[in-house]
Order: sequence, then C-alpha cells, then structure tokens
Amino acid sequence: MRIPKRMCGTLLSAYSTACCRRKAPAPEPIEALPEAVPDLPELSVDKPLKPAGEQSLIDEMLSQSRYALLLRPQIIGNLTPGQLIRTQAALADGMCLVPSGEVVLHPSADDEDGGNRFSNRRTPLRIDAYYLDRYPATNAQFQQFVACGGYEQLAIWDQEIWPAVLDFVDQTGHPGPRFWRKGGYPNGEANHPVVGICWYEARAYARWAGKRLGTDAEWVKAGSWPVSMAGHPLLERRYPWGDAMDRERANLWGSGPGRTVSVDQFPLGVSVGGVHQLIGNVWEWTADAFILEDAAPETNAAPQPKMKSVRGGAYDTYLDTQATCQFRSGDYALARKHNIGFRCAIGMCDLKNTDSSAEPGHLPQESPAIAEAPR
Amino acid sequence: MNRGIALELDSYRLAQHVGHIACLICEQGNTLDADVCRHCFAPMILAHQAQSQKVNPIIFAALGPSGVGKTVYLGMLLDMMSRRPHELQVSARGGFSVTLQQTTLAALARCEFPSKTPNEPDRWNWAHCQLHTPRNPLPIELVIPDIAGEALFQEVDHPRSYQVIHSLLSRSDGVLVLIDGTKLQSGSLDEDYFTMKLLSHLNEVGRDSKNDRGARPVALIFSKADQCESCFDDPTGYAERHAPGLWRVCQQRFRKHRFFAAGVAGACAQRATHGGGLQSIPLRVEPRGIVEPFEWLVENVI
Repeated sequence: MRIPKRMCGTLLSAYSTACCRRKAPAPEPIEALPEAVPDLPELSVDKPLKPAGEQSLIDEMLSQSRYALLLRPQIIGNLTPGQLIRTQAALADGMCLVPSGEVVLHPSADDEDGGNRFSNRRTPLRIDAYYLDRYPATNAQFQQFVACGGYEQLAIWDQEIWPAVLDFVDQTGHPGPRFWRKGGYPNGEANHPVVGICWYEARAYARWAGKRLGTDAEWVKAGSWPVSMAGHPLLERRYPWGDAMDRERANLWGSGPGRTVSVDQFPLGVSVGGVHQLIGNVWEWTADAFILEDAAPETNAAPQPKMKSVRGGAYDTYLDTQATCQFRSGDYALARKHNIGFRCAIGMCDLKNTDSSAEPGHLPQESPAIAEAPR
Repeated sequence: MNRGIALELDSYRLAQHVGHIACLICEQGNTLDADVCRHCFAPMILAHQAQSQKVNPIIFAALGPSGVGKTVYLGMLLDMMSRRPHELQVSARGGFSVTLQQTTLAALARCEFPSKTPNEPDRWNWAHCQLHTPRNPLPIELVIPDIAGEALFQEVDHPRSYQVIHSLLSRSDGVLVLIDGTKLQSGSLDEDYFTMKLLSHLNEVGRDSKNDRGARPVALIFSKADQCESCFDDPTGYAERHAPGLWRVCQQRFRKHRFFAAGVAGACAQRATHGGGLQSIPLRVEPRGIVEPFEWLVENVI
C-alpha cells in the first residue's frame, strides 16, 4: 500500500521532511504495518475511513513526538477524531502553555546583588502565548531524529551550515551528538537530556519536530512567571520555585551527582506552569544571539556574531547567581558541549486552536508573531 | 640651667624588636613585629603560625607565565576544597588566607577575570590552610602563594632578583605548573619555551639538583582547557603533540610528573577595548579538572 498522494502532498509541501526517511536504522515497510490502529475510537459509517498507510504515518509521527506538525492548521483537518484526541493529549503531555504577557530581561550583572524581584529597570517586553516543552529534549527523542535521517535532510538545516553538517558526528564518526557512539546514546541515558549538540543541531531537530527554539524572553517568562499588577512593577521569581536558592530542587554543582540526570528528576524544581529542569542539569540553547551587555565606557560591547544564548545553568554550574531565571550565558553556535542541551517551543498562534478552553476570553489572545528578545 | 624632663621608659616595647623569628620562606631572621620579611617580603604571619603550631608546613608553588590563570586556578581550587564535601578538604588559617578565593570568585561572579597579580611580593596573596586527608588523622599545614608571572620569569632570567621566588622554588614540596592550552593549540611555541625554561630552572634550584631526575612531584596543568576540549581527553598526548620540548624535559628531568587539563570558565567571549586589544570575558563558572592535579600532588608529597 502506498501513502495516499493527498496526504503526501500536504505533508511534503508544508514540511518536506515528514515523509522523508533516507536513513532509517530498521526500515519497516509501511505495507507491513497493521491496517487499523486498535486504540482508535470507532468512526461513524458516514465518515470516510482514513487509509491505513495514512494512519500509520500519523501514529509514527506521534511516536516520534512530532505532534506539533499534526496540529498545524494545514494538517489537522486530515486527522480522525481519535487521532486528534491523541495528538492533543500528546501536546498536553509534552508541552506547557505559557500565557501571553510581559517579561523583563535583566543584564546578567543585575544578579550580583541577589536579583531584582521587582523589575523596573527595563521596559517590559510583551510576548504572545506559546507552548514550551515540559522537559529538555532527551537522548531517546533525539535518537528518533537521527534514525529518521535528520542529519541527511538538508531542508531542515540552515543553508549556511550545510558544509558543517558532515562534521556533526559522534565518537565513532556516525551522524549524531558528540558523545554518542555508533549513532546511539550511552546505555541507561535514554531519558537524560541530549548534550553534545550545537545550536544548529538543536534548531534542525526543532524544525523536524514541527517546533522551534524558544527566545530568551520566552524562556525567562516560563521560569520567572512574572505577574503584572496595575500600577506596580512586574513581580518576577528569581528561580522557578521562588526567590531563594534551594539546591534540593536543581542538579547543580554540589547538589547532584556531577553529571546529567534523567529529565524527570528534581521534580521540586518545577515552574509554576509545569516546566521541569529550567534550572540545572543542562544549559539550554535559545533562538537568540548572544551579545555582551556592557556599561563600561572604556570598552566596546562588541557583538559576538557566532555566539548564541544559553540559559538555566547545568550540573556543573558553580555559582548560584548563574543559575537563575535571568542569568544569560552564551556559547559559539557550533560548540558541542557536554552540558548544553535544548528544549523546543511553539507559538500558540502556530497551532490550530481546537480546544474550547483556549478560546479568546479563556486564554490570552493570540497574535500573529512572537515578540523577539532584545538584542 | 638644666631642666629635667620626665620620660616614661617603655622598655618592654623594645623587646619585640629584639625578638627573633625566621621567615618561613627564606629562613632569614626578622624581628617579631615585622609584617613582611625584610629579606624576601613574604608575610611573617606564616612564620608566626608555624611557630605557634610547632609544625613545618608543606609548601606548594603554582608557576606559569603571566596571564596563564594561576590566580583563577588557585582561587577556584581553594574555594572548591573549602566548600565541597570531599575526601580532601582545606580550611583557611586566618582571614588573609581567604582573600585569594574571595577576590577570585567575586570577579568571576561579575563575569570578569581577577586583576593581574602585581609584581611586588608584599602585595601577593598567600594562602595558609589546614589540609584534611582521610589518610592523616591530624591536619597538615599547607602554604600556597599566588606569585606574579612576570616576577617569576624575571627571576628565571636573572636569578635572585626576587629572593622570595628563589626561596620558594628551593623549598617547595610540590609544584603546579600552568600552561596555556589555547596558545599551544594555536601553534604558538612561546608557551613551550617558557615552560621549558621554567622547568630547567626549577630543576637547578630544587633540593635534589644533584639528582638527574628530580624527585619533587610536578603537576603540569593545561589551563583554559574549556576552550580546547581535546586537552581533557588525553592531556599527556596533548603535551606530546603540542609541546614536544616540554614533554621531553619532563621525561628526562622529573621522575614524578603528570599532565592534567583544567578549566574554570565554561565559555569566554572577547571584548574589544578602546586600546585596540581584546579582553577575555568569562561567561560562566564551570570548574573542570581543578581538584585532580592537587589531589595527585598531595598524594605524592604526603
């Protein structure tokens, strides 16, 4: 059985990577897949049954955590009610909604004095509602990307980086994160955050999954969860759990085993919105460029053209002041470090709004574009 | 006509000038009230503490060219060893011993590297600590100075121009030699030459200079390894590939030596200054490989 042409056209035209499997480790012929997915609800007889190939493709995308692609307005109409329910459940399981609102980004030096709970030094930025991954991207999730030939699909990579993609290999020369071997992650680390990936690899994965990297402002908003009260400065948290450092809540230097841990550990460090491990375990790439902020008159705040912003601190972050929601660091976009991972985001406006509770009036209004963090 | 003036005779005050105490570093005589040794400018409090405890502390020397990261390494090491529940622990003896780690960590928290250590010996930071090891029930007294790189190489080029360095190199029980890993990676031979010169001098002034292969343990540390991560994988191989002269000197002259890699800043950015130079900015603090050389040195000294 072939994949229906209509489905291929939709997927391939919108996301050229969805059906492209150039390097599957164990290519399983679509013909061999079961014709009906057992846990799907029964369809009424007056609705056309979806071809089995189409269903299996959707199931496969769901198993690869690519539900965001299926919820795009261009594609969502092709889902059966059962698939839609499962896709929405996958979204709810994998991502947290961060409502629209204001956030203030501080210079990192502000953290020296213990942080500014009341943000009145800078003009607040307004960002639209978006979804942020509940956990950092894991080795198991990234394995799906590698197995699908993600490193061979040039369409999901920035053109400027094409020559370098061949160099993104593991310890044994296979395409994959730097610290993997033979295209696979270390034993027992399926649920650990993927590290050893550069900014471009993180971005390519996000595109493959139908998502994107969050901006600095989005990342800070998810962690500091600012509260805006009329006539008062924005009230922000220094850490996702409050204003005081508590090393029981994050994998940092001296509080963890000195290496990455599973993404579901340190559950007490969860943010108000339900995002885990924003602080500690691994730094997270964001979409924004890293530029030194410097008020010293004798120096130039020279832009770092090859550097991208990272946030959140890692298992070897030594100073408490560098593991806050506001602290920003950076690294070269091509750096494949032992302690930098990522998590994905997607604008609420990019998804088809099918949830009645998300109608205007219940949730913050959508807007066509996500505000960018200040450069 | 003579008029007598009554003067109080505070003769007891003279006693402190008459008292004699030997400098811990250069072992030359000083008066009891001296703050720094009048011969080598080492702080006399080290001698007072050693005398009161009736123990002779072990001395480690951290050596390397200017800008290699000696202050950052020592400050970070002392801070980690004093904060971390670890087999090896240090506790400062006196407030002055905390100054080095305090100034280093304060600068790093501001995303700056600490100021350059001045050349004047009386302005150096000295750390006097008690070292707690699982093997020894009693704490071990340890002294580590943070000496200026420029002064060190002046002493190497013109021996005895800095008495304190000469005495330190003679007396030290273990040596930490820092080498800029990034400069080696860029192909610069300066680091290789500097370190060869330093090790040759060290071998000459060492206690066992008559011995062809010195018994004093030497830990050779590639600093700034966070910017050249291949250092971490195989420091000895890195030395063999990028500093063949240094590697050969170590093989020939030092029986106990080992290569290490260490980094404090997780990443650095470059900032252009109005003077036309570049200033390195530490973007975060992620110590790697800091404690290992010290542990190895302690193991080989005690």
